[in-house]
Amino acid sequence: MTSLKLFAWLTLLLPLAGCIAVALVGRRLPGRGAGYLATGALAGSFAAAIATLVTLTGREADEQQVVAVAWDYANTVGIDAQLSLLVDPLSVFMILVVSGVSTLIHLYSISYMASDQGYVRFFAYLNFFVFSMLLLVLAGNFLVLIIGWAFVGAASYLLISFWYRRTTATSAGIKAFVINVLGDVGLVLGTFFIFKHVGTLDFLQSFENARETFEPGDGDLTAGCILLLVGAFAKSAQVPLHTWLPDAMEGPTPVSSLIHAATMVTAGVYLIARMHPLFELAPTAADVGAIVGCLTLLIAATIAIAVTDLKRVIAYSTMSQIGYMVMAVSAGAYAAGLFHLMTHAFFKALLFMAAGSVIAAMAGQQNLDKMGGFRKAMPFTFGCMVIGGLALSGVPPFSGFFSKDEILLLIGDRGGWYWILYVAGYAGAFMTGIYTFRMIFRTFFGEPVPEARELEEGHLHHAEVHTNPATGEVEDTEVGFPGAEHHIAEREPTMKIAMGALALLAIVGGVLQIPKVVHVIDDFLDPTFAGSALYHRELGDGLIAFGLVLGAIVGVAGIAVAYLIWVKNPQIAVTVRERLAPLHTLFVNKWYFDELIDALVVRPVRWFGAWSHQTFERIFVNGLLVGGTSGVVRAGSSAVRAAQTGFLRYYALLIVVGIVALAFYFLMSA
Amino acid sequence: MIATAETIEAPHVDWAGLSPLIAVFLGAIVVLLLGLSRSRSARETAVPLLSIATLAIAIGLSVGRWGERTDLIAGALRLDELTLILTILFCVAGIATVLLSWRHVAPRELAHGEYYALLLSSIAGMIVLVAAQNLVAVFVGLELLSIPLYVLCAAEMRRASSLESGLKYLVIGSVGSATVLYGLAFIYGATGSTDFGRIAEVLAGGDVASDVLLLTGVALTIAGMAFKASVAPFHQWTPDVYEGAPTPITAFMAVATKAAAFGVVLRLFDVALIDAALDWGPALAVLAAITIVVGNVGALGQSSLKRLLAYSSVAQAGYMLAGVVVATRLGLQATIFYIAVYLVMNLAAFAVIVARERETPLGDDISSLNGIGATRPALAWSMTISMLALAGFPATAGFIGKFYLIEAAVAGAYTWLAVFIVVGSMISLAYYLKVIAAIWMQPAEDDGTVVATEPVPLADGGETPLLAGGAEEATSARGQGELVGVAVVFAALTVILGIVPSPLLDVVRDAGAALGLL
Repeated sequence: MTSLKLFAWLTLLLPLAGCIAVALVGRRLPGRGAGYLATGALAGSFAAAIATLVTLTGREADEQQVVAVAWDYANTVGIDAQLSLLVDPLSVFMILVVSGVSTLIHLYSISYMASDQGYVRFFAYLNFFVFSMLLLVLAGNFLVLIIGWAFVGAASYLLISFWYRRTTATSAGIKAFVINVLGDVGLVLGTFFIFKHVGTLDFLQSFENARETFEPGDGDLTAGCILLLVGAFAKSAQVPLHTWLPDAMEGPTPVSSLIHAATMVTAGVYLIARMHPLFELAPTAADVGAIVGCLTLLIAATIAIAVTDLKRVIAYSTMSQIGYMVMAVSAGAYAAGLFHLMTHAFFKALLFMAAGSVIAAMAGQQNLDKMGGFRKAMPFTFGCMVIGGLALSGVPPFSGFFSKDEILLLIGDRGGWYWILYVAGYAGAFMTGIYTFRMIFRTFFGEPVPEARELEEGHLHHAEVHTNPATGEVEDTEVGFPGAEHHIAEREPTMKIAMGALALLAIVGGVLQIPKVVHVIDDFLDPTFAGSALYHRELGDGLIAFGLVLGAIVGVAGIAVAYLIWVKNPQIAVTVRERLAPLHTLFVNKWYFDELIDALVVRPVRWFGAWSHQTFERIFVNGLLVGGTSGVVRAGSSAVRAAQTGFLRYYALLIVVGIVALAFYFLMSA
Repeated sequence: MIATAETIEAPHVDWAGLSPLIAVFLGAIVVLLLGLSRSRSARETAVPLLSIATLAIAIGLSVGRWGERTDLIAGALRLDELTLILTILFCVAGIATVLLSWRHVAPRELAHGEYYALLLSSIAGMIVLVAAQNLVAVFVGLELLSIPLYVLCAAEMRRASSLESGLKYLVIGSVGSATVLYGLAFIYGATGSTDFGRIAEVLAGGDVASDVLLLTGVALTIAGMAFKASVAPFHQWTPDVYEGAPTPITAFMAVATKAAAFGVVLRLFDVALIDAALDWGPALAVLAAITIVVGNVGALGQSSLKRLLAYSSVAQAGYMLAGVVVATRLGLQATIFYIAVYLVMNLAAFAVIVARERETPLGDDISSLNGIGATRPALAWSMTISMLALAGFPATAGFIGKFYLIEAAVAGAYTWLAVFIVVGSMISLAYYLKVIAAIWMQPAEDDGTVVATEPVPLADGGETPLLAGGAEEATSARGQGELVGVAVVFAALTVILGIVPSPLLDVVRDAGAALGLL
């Protein structure tokens, strides 16, 4: 095994080893030992990922796609199911982002979750999640991809429902799982459509076969790719399969940060980028992806302006940003989309961490209406939030500016109807500035709330009675809720280190790729996308200059509007809300997507279920199938047992009957 | 040349090729002699250790011969990968049985030496049986394997049900042996040869394939082999004997005897009678289907774990028979793979049963597992994994095994039999999951305080003695290390082979190639 493969396997297996170790011995470790063990496993994984990167870049460009096969699982009659990893620039890029950000979030969780009753369980789950995600991005064939995809969904379910005594958390977990399974079905069916024609599960081989098998625009391939998109939309919370993501904020904040911002929800983006040879042969499917991404970014941005739950604002912002990425990779701007994936992982994880710190200071309260004036009480958190916010709004020279603008530049360059996406992208960027700084201004500016005053006097507010922030129900912290104690970044070194590192990355991450100046990401990813027709495009200088200036102006303008409305003259907010009452209602109610799905899917299904329960099941299933079948089986069972008398003479009789029947058969056939 | 005409020349014996068999025989003799020792520690410790060492040596010698394909003793036996892999499996089962018997009451009753010597003789018989490529050698092997087992079943001679089990096995087994002998004689009569190769040549050469004498012989042979492999409707002894015999011996019979029976069936039908496959194929297929149904349906109402596993072993025999029916190399590989996997899965389950028999006064009743998920996690997980694997859950070895059997059946144009396997697996969940439910969902019994005052009633209405299966030494969890070890090792193997099946598949591929099928 070459050292490259070895490092890739290490990256994958260290989190699994960590998960098992934490689950087995975590309880016996003193204090926060389980957290340090899990973080250590992740740090090792990140180190192995860096080693993989170094080894990979040391190779020639045409040797940078390596398939590491561990063993054949089933290799017969037309199926080549192997446990194989594909180590190439794209997967190495993804493992670096995943393991790197995960390490920092683990570090943050060591303190943040310290008083939770389920501390050990939390880290076991978290490590399992990272393992699943790494399996997903390292998969070398469709089978391993599907396994990783399903594992990620399961890990997400476990972590959303982590506080399993909260009814809101369990129902959010179920919702996420159901929608994710819908995506799994899409992925599996899509795989089948493609497998049927290319005859292999291996990625590289199937891409090669696809070029020979499919005409561009082939019907089956388009159907397969659209089904793959269903999987991608469900995982990446794209319209209309996005409704689980805001609800997933019921999980602990580090989970929101890791899974529902930085890693899992970007799986769809990765999938489209990985399957780019197929999508380029099925342009219709690619266009569907681009349009849905664009719709998502606009819809999510409008909702983010209206909702008042701190974490949900960031969740909708995540949806919106992933919309950019999906739009980018569907429209052929692969490197730009992945670049944005990386910078987004940095600043969005940072924003969630800062939000977690604020929520801890509020003793679990997440409502923006009840926050305000934390600027003095939490200077470090405030600084991190502003850095994350500036990066998210796309203000130069923060990282988000470069990545978002590159996406829009490349889409604008394609011309044609892509101009609509281009314009929508800038409209989204303007709203991004507004909602981000609305959140920051409402949390940190204005009159300090009692919790903030308490903190300024050096005392961290703890709720006397712990309640569910969503429903106000009283909760018992002894059975696995966030403990009575809360931890804020200002007082916990590990949280500070994690946030500081991400803040730094959010500021400088953009220098990796500056149009016409630096092309680190482009060059690195080149071997993966070498065969793509859309990858190597030269942009006109005019477009670049115009785009960069426009992007900067739009971002700053959004912030200015937010400042005007929520700091300078809070009266405007009320006036606007009254003037545009219908629009506000639409946004606050999240465009009625939940109600729409309820009316279109849930209710008809439930009605059909009730109907079949009352008629179909009672008569046909229970009566005939279950009653009949189990009756037959039960009768058979008693017949067999009745024959089992324990008396040898009956056995002898049956033997004779058996022998005679056999002999009779053979004689008849002779 | 002149000399050979007058004196009978002893056939050339390839001692190296026979070495695993010889090692086991020598071990049996040494163990028997050592069992006469006055020293208690020699009898109780040295004898089992020596038995394990013997079997380990036999495994080592078998591994050393891997890749060889030769005839031994004038063609009576055949040394090839099929013989070797089955030899290794018998020895593994033997080692596990020795460990399960370590502190059991049965070896004590038989003065240790005899018990282990009989066990080793039985293993030697199995090796002869699966290596046999001559009708006479088949019968010698069959008897060598069976007779020690009759005694071993009755090893707990102070317990009536153990004696009953031994007696039943003796009577039914003798009927089976007689049937086989009858059948083999007919085959010899029809073909004029006892050598597998010659028989195959005769069958290939002429219209003997539809000869009445031959077909009757085949029918009787099938019936006789079906006894040993507990294939329905010749399975009736299985639940009774399995339940009454000492549990370690039950474990040994369930895995090793079945493997031996299938080993000889594979060689006899896929080598000697391969040209009559169109005749025996459908008959075996029907038997397989009946066996799957009877085994799975019969297991449903059982409350005794040993009876449950007995019916389960009947059902599993049906699955394995599907691989024989198709008479292809794929089917052969699938069967061998399943035999190996079946051994691994079952040994874990039996180790748990033996452990719980000692820990609770409930014997092998399913309630002895109640709540062990909380109190004995190692045993609980082993049993859970074993049950899931027997049911064919993905990510366990049982899944891969069934997958290959089904694939072999479909590829061999027996799709309907594959459907039986799937439906049978579905029914089997009803009783395998019942065991898992007892482990995880029932409250734990108070260990040691529950004293069964009434005989545990048997579902079959048969008279059940109090505390079946060596439960009289029901004690605490002290000194169960070897049982937990066996359970954990085989459960771990079940999972590992379910995720990484390729090493075993490679071995099985070699063994499958040994018989020269397509």
